[in-house]
Amino acid sequence: MWLWFSKLGSPKWFYDLSGKWLPWLVAFMVVTMTVGLLWALLFVPEDYQQSFTNRIFYVHVPVASISLAVFPLMAIAGAITLVWKMKLADMVAKCAAPIGVWFTGVALATGAIWGEPMWGTWWVWDARLTSMLLQFFLLIGVVALRSAIESPDAAARACALLSIVGAINVPIIKYSVEWWNTLHQPSTPLTMDSNSANGPEIWVPLLIMIAAVYCFFVISLILSTRNEILQRERRSQWVMDIIASERV
Amino acid sequence: MSEQSMTVQRSSVARQQAQVSTFAAFRATLRRDLLIALKRRNDLLNPLMFFLIVVSLFPLGVSSDPNELTRIAAGTVWVSALLASMLSLDNLFRADYEDGSLEQLLLSPQPLYFMVLAKNISHWLISGLPVVLLSPLLAYMLYLPADAYWTLLFTLLLGTPVLSLFGSIGVALTVGLGSRGLILAVIVLPLTMPVLIIGAKAVADVSLGLPLGMHYALLGAILAMSLSLAPLASAAALKISVN
Repeated sequence: MWLWFSKLGSPKWFYDLSGKWLPWLVAFMVVTMTVGLLWALLFVPEDYQQSFTNRIFYVHVPVASISLAVFPLMAIAGAITLVWKMKLADMVAKCAAPIGVWFTGVALATGAIWGEPMWGTWWVWDARLTSMLLQFFLLIGVVALRSAIESPDAAARACALLSIVGAINVPIIKYSVEWWNTLHQPSTPLTMDSNSANGPEIWVPLLIMIAAVYCFFVISLILSTRNEILQRERRSQWVMDIIASERV
Repeated sequence: MSEQSMTVQRSSVARQQAQVSTFAAFRATLRRDLLIALKRRNDLLNPLMFFLIVVSLFPLGVSSDPNELTRIAAGTVWVSALLASMLSLDNLFRADYEDGSLEQLLLSPQPLYFMVLAKNISHWLISGLPVVLLSPLLAYMLYLPADAYWTLLFTLLLGTPVLSLFGSIGVALTVGLGSRGLILAVIVLPLTMPVLIIGAKAVADVSLGLPLGMHYALLGAILAMSLSLAPLASAAALKISVN
């Protein structure tokens, strides 16, 4: 168990393994993304109220749901950094923060684009929108702190701590804002009944899109983590070997 | 000297130091910080003046119409209190960091939690409490209905310590950095927004005649939670930044 654990923490091991995974992940993402997007954009029945504008739902919901996973991910990686001083966990946390900023930003932007025809406005101070905006600010804070501290080791631990504090705050922010003001529709339960407004022909493409976007997130995270590994381990022998073999 | 005897000696020294009880150390830290603040009147006055000036910007910038001001009064006072607390945070650890007494605090055998708590309490007494006490005057200037004065005062009383406690985490994380005024705000402000929301909403609700128990309960819960957890986070952050 501990051997496995220490192996997991080794950047080289992760680099090798993720190199093997990447082609499969990319292939899976291309397939699900193509199927999901075509299905969602061309074949999903039009909503009787929203006509074709509800198709943005299939981008908005996956992106938003994944951006909610970023803070827990960073907090867990941060806890591992603080407790076991595992370098890899910090590299993942460092790379997850800017990607999280992007995902949250895209969720806000697609939400605004959807909101304009539906609610008649790009922005409302509604609970979910506001808590998303605050999460956006918190993530920017983590990124800013990371770039402000020069020593990588201190930056790692400081950001780990801030991520944990932020992750504790995210639910508090969510509930306080929700109780403050709500316009956004609550999540709708899925049903198997195809006569219902939320039957399988609506949510199956959604699940495919969620899988595709999750996969996209993981691929981005792996790619930037690999980049980070190469940069931080640039003095170690195995990285020099890779560089030497690339040059030939 | 063998390593073992060194360890024994060191632990006996630690035991001697630990005879200063945690409570005594807590009191000494609190007293020292308050004394320093009293000797430096500017630190005492500036947050208050800042608070006053920011509040008086709103009628100039928004409108001097009493009805309009009544609507924004609670939010204005709350936002200004938040900003004033933010601005005064800089005093919290910086001077101690620069003259090395912060390191001594970290090395002391008493639990850092209580030392940080003492510093946070003194920060609140210096910068938060005056703002709370001044708030009815500003509320009057902003035409807040008279029945909302007490609500404003009580929500600020429960809310401003949370601002100091959360802010302390941000300061502790950035204490070693050269330029940190703005990054501190970027880190701390999002954390304090639940308090702002609840506090401002409570004052808005009182003029609608709604019950207030829930607001107080929520603010009290946030205060209790941050009193117990935030100093731990600050202590951990100090250990990270000072090394």
